[in-house]
Amino acid sequence: MAKWRKAFPVDLADESFISRREFTRFLALVSAGFTAGIGYLWGRKKPLEGAPDPHGVTETAVALGLASELAPGQSKLFTFRDQDDRCILLRTAEGDLKAYRQTCTHLGCAVRFKGGQLECPCHYGYFECGHGFPVQGPPTRPLSGVALEVKADGTLWAVGDLPKPGEAKEA
Amino acid sequence: MRPKAPRTSMTSFALGLGLLILIIQVYLFETVLGSVLDGHRSLLAGAFFASLILTLVALVFAFRARNLDR
Repeated sequence: MAKWRKAFPVDLADESFISRREFTRFLALVSAGFTAGIGYLWGRKKPLEGAPDPHGVTETAVALGLASELAPGQSKLFTFRDQDDRCILLRTAEGDLKAYRQTCTHLGCAVRFKGGQLECPCHYGYFECGHGFPVQGPPTRPLSGVALEVKADGTLWAVGDLPKPGEAKEA
Repeated sequence: MRPKAPRTSMTSFALGLGLLILIIQVYLFETVLGSVLDGHRSLLAGAFFASLILTLVALVFAFRARNLDR
């Protein structure tokens, strides 16, 4: 045996060896991490970004100008809760006013109103304008809607979050 | 010379169960996260306890089940 072998009797193969038990322990600890993650979501009071507030906190209404300013097929951007809460107001071809959060439910890119649909340019996801349902591309969840209210003087206001489509059936 | 670490190995069943539990946990977490983002928080309690039970089973197999060593 070489001298250096006697001086450093470390078997490299043994050093990198991971037994099945060690690997299963690692799997169990990762599993515990997921449990902790679900526990965190359960205990978290503040809603996640993009999720509706479960306590129904009263929103501060935001003025969006005159309702008649927007022609069918037009849209405009506004911010609602804070400067990072970017939303899009649009008037459909049928003349209905709709407002949605701009955050795509796939990977969070900003959607835009194009060709009568809401389009996410990052991965070409498309949402219909009536309820924000995904109709094409990678998104699987609908856009978060913003409730609108037209006052007697014709001004348009964003007044809160719309319930997610399907929530009324489950309640 | 330094004694070699004992190469304790577990049966394929225990290893497979650990992997299966982790796959279920990943699916469960993804489902829960999607539901929370949709505003459905009512399933969080049930999902947490289901996840906790899976984790406890995985921990028992990984740390306590000596009789599974070959």
